[in-house]
Amino acid sequence: MEQKIKNIVTKLQQPDTAFADVRITFTDYESILFMNTNLKNYSNSPASPAIGIRVLIDGCFGFAGSKDLSDSSIERLIAKARANARQGAKFQKEKVTFPALPAAFGEYQHIPEIDPFALPKAEKLGYLKNLAEAIKPQAQIVHSLVSAQFERQEKYYANSEGSYSHSIVFNTLPLMLVVAAADSGIQTRTWPGHMSAGRGGFELFYKQQFEQNTERIIKEATDLLHAPVITDQKADIIIGAGHLALQLHESVGHATEADRILGQEISYAGKTFVKPEMLTNFKYGSDLVNIYSDSTDPRGLGYQPLDDEGVPGRRVDIIKNGILMDLQNSRHIAHKLGLQPSANMKAPFADDFPLVRMTNFCLAPGKGTLAELIANTEYGYYLDFTKTWSIDDNRNNFQFTTEIGYKIEHGKITGIVKEPTYYGITQEFWNACDAICGEEEWAYHSTFTCGKGEPGQIMRLSHGVAPARFKNINVSVKI
Amino acid sequence: MNKQLMYLKQALDKHPELKYQISLNSWQTDFLRFYQSQTNYNISKDSISLEVLLYKGKKSCDFSIDHPERDKIDTALATALDMIDSMPEDPDFVDVEDDLSMAQPRDVPNNIEAIPLEQKTKILSHIAKRAAEYDFEIYGSFFCNYQSWRMLNSNALDKSSTQSPIYLEVKAVHKKNQVTVLHTFGGEDFSIFDEASFTNDLLTKIQAAQNPITDVEPGKYEVILAPRCLAEFVQYLSYGMSAQAVDQHSSFFEGKVDEKIFPELIDISDDPTDEEMIRQDYGAQGHIYRPLKLIEKGYFRAFMCDQYYHYKLGFPKNGNVGTCLKIAPGKSSLEDMISSVERGLFISSLHYMNFINAKATSLTGLTRDGTFLIENGQITKVVNNLRFTERISRILENTCELESKAYSIPFSSNYAEFSVRTTKAPHAKVKDFNITSSTKTI
Repeated sequence: MEQKIKNIVTKLQQPDTAFADVRITFTDYESILFMNTNLKNYSNSPASPAIGIRVLIDGCFGFAGSKDLSDSSIERLIAKARANARQGAKFQKEKVTFPALPAAFGEYQHIPEIDPFALPKAEKLGYLKNLAEAIKPQAQIVHSLVSAQFERQEKYYANSEGSYSHSIVFNTLPLMLVVAAADSGIQTRTWPGHMSAGRGGFELFYKQQFEQNTERIIKEATDLLHAPVITDQKADIIIGAGHLALQLHESVGHATEADRILGQEISYAGKTFVKPEMLTNFKYGSDLVNIYSDSTDPRGLGYQPLDDEGVPGRRVDIIKNGILMDLQNSRHIAHKLGLQPSANMKAPFADDFPLVRMTNFCLAPGKGTLAELIANTEYGYYLDFTKTWSIDDNRNNFQFTTEIGYKIEHGKITGIVKEPTYYGITQEFWNACDAICGEEEWAYHSTFTCGKGEPGQIMRLSHGVAPARFKNINVSVKI
Repeated sequence: MNKQLMYLKQALDKHPELKYQISLNSWQTDFLRFYQSQTNYNISKDSISLEVLLYKGKKSCDFSIDHPERDKIDTALATALDMIDSMPEDPDFVDVEDDLSMAQPRDVPNNIEAIPLEQKTKILSHIAKRAAEYDFEIYGSFFCNYQSWRMLNSNALDKSSTQSPIYLEVKAVHKKNQVTVLHTFGGEDFSIFDEASFTNDLLTKIQAAQNPITDVEPGKYEVILAPRCLAEFVQYLSYGMSAQAVDQHSSFFEGKVDEKIFPELIDISDDPTDEEMIRQDYGAQGHIYRPLKLIEKGYFRAFMCDQYYHYKLGFPKNGNVGTCLKIAPGKSSLEDMISSVERGLFISSLHYMNFINAKATSLTGLTRDGTFLIENGQITKVVNNLRFTERISRILENTCELESKAYSIPFSSNYAEFSVRTTKAPHAKVKDFNITSSTKTI
């Protein structure tokens, strides 16, 4: 396959072509769903092929992608990508340009502790069935599910600058959920929450302690049926790492994608309040807030030897001591804004065109444990396990509801609240951060389903976070 | 590629102990993304996939093959046959679809060929030029898909369908203050696209966006919802109209068939036959897709229910999946509706909605692409984008007027399979709409 992709690049190197790249992916995918103890779905898609060809001609990118890797298909895609670029250049005011990079090479093979595709099916299904039995409908639990998604992706990349990379990675998304019902309505509890994916194989079920948490989610879902709602107008909130990953994702991650600044994603995903002139002077968060993009850490789904336009993986400080320092960008946008390429151009499959994407987008740890942070909180709520998320077109006004809130009084958890909902304005919120837990609480939380782009793409990515506290946050929304 | 489908069918027919549902899906798009009144990307994509669902008794497994070839089919089928006996049972499964009714054949042109890139670019150049007269630039997408589907199953079902949706979304953004308005066209018949009319409608919205910008306090507002907004609320509401939602105990409509829930002016159907919309011939499992009355004069009438949940829950089955929703028009004119508002809001479009509690229909979301203040019956100002926290059921309960005309509004689906659907809706006047905060930005 290495020779095949290099041959395609050679064909693309025409006098009129300023840049060209080719990606090929083969993706194994398996999905298992138990609903109410019954196997509702067992599906797989073995070695799904995809190819994407991108050319820059007359200052405009053209792209063509397919699942068909045959020679005739490749010839067709080359012609189509070239025609797309040439036609696009006729409706263009500003040409796409960027400086050349030295040829770079990457090779990476990730080996999971337990390869989910090699694990005997009976063992895999048996484990999941046992989990499903442990959370089966009973008493006020009326619905439950256990799901697992496994992915193995082999990827080849080559470009006209001579860069080449090859990688193999395994990703897993495990989840369980229970729904409790009463006359008062329904409540849900999941484990381990919204961002439950990770780089790895079947071992994630053990590392995330599914078996140890079945009784907990049953009890909490049931208790939530009769729990009070928050009656405070404002309160200090500690956000658990799973949910904080999403808060970071929505209000900083997407906001600092530079393609949004140019309006390239206005049509669907939206824009951002961030402007290039804010770099090095905008107080995005408190002095404790240090946020970085790091595609060099193999523990996260965003690890990559090279990004999807040949930029070697990098760690980039986005926010340093609360100040906005840099942006996630592409080679074109970096050149336009006078920045260095940040290695953030990615697409989930080869037949998707690359976009500015989060890789491993992380909040640096502070100090102390979650237990210490709770003990140091006089009054407030500890919120975790995302239920609802929403943020505006400019990534400025957000509102989140978590599945459960734990009330804190005098440094101790004294009860739970249902559907705790908070909202805020991004800059005010991150400036209200007065504590971030330390390394011992810091971990990656990942997703398979970050939607962006048209035609739509769903990206796999990670956030490294530890729980953090935010002062005097508006929790007054009533539903 | 139909050869591959028939090859698989022949292989499966050698196993009378199996029930099966197999489908071949071919999809392609020519997609023009534009920003700042220029091309961003021209994208062409295609795929062919074979979807296979096998049952042996109550044990099942399924697989899909992208770009299927015989050796891949042989391998995947052998693997599936090898493991199906070890699968746990689903006691609720009875049979694959047995509705053999055929939809009326219809000619579907390939709009990728009918509307070449050159034509799309020319149209956009014209629109960009007119918008520039007001210091606006255009952003958005203009694309056509061509997708065909054939499904076979072990009950002798053999059905095919083709769609070729067209989608044009133009956001005009002011170069300085970022005030944005949106105009769209969607359907399968490009002959009804009138470039001059489309451009004039966009320019009318641009003119409204020249008003000064203001902010409003949270609170209950009388609002005029543009058709796009009402359509989107009803799309979210339709989740609870599915038998699957009932089975998962998350349906607002559970136990409410033939109950009056909304005012008499609320009438909602799922109608795949409307020629102004993107039509659909069959449901996901091959059942014929026929018009279905969901809400009739405020009464909830039926759940959308496939074969599986028909057997499990005992509901009447149909092929409806809510992709052709229509909200019936009322009797008012838009002008009269606006002029009757003393102080309220005109909301053009919604953004990033998410359920807080699906069973209660509570959700939050935001306005975008043109939120306007109405004072003394006239649009007077542009308003920053606003957050609402509401129950859809309450929005419909509070709907006091509907426009006498409904519009076909296209929506692109960006998760998983990329597709386009249309929902038809009129403007609506709604009281006590709950604005919970301002974004402080446009």
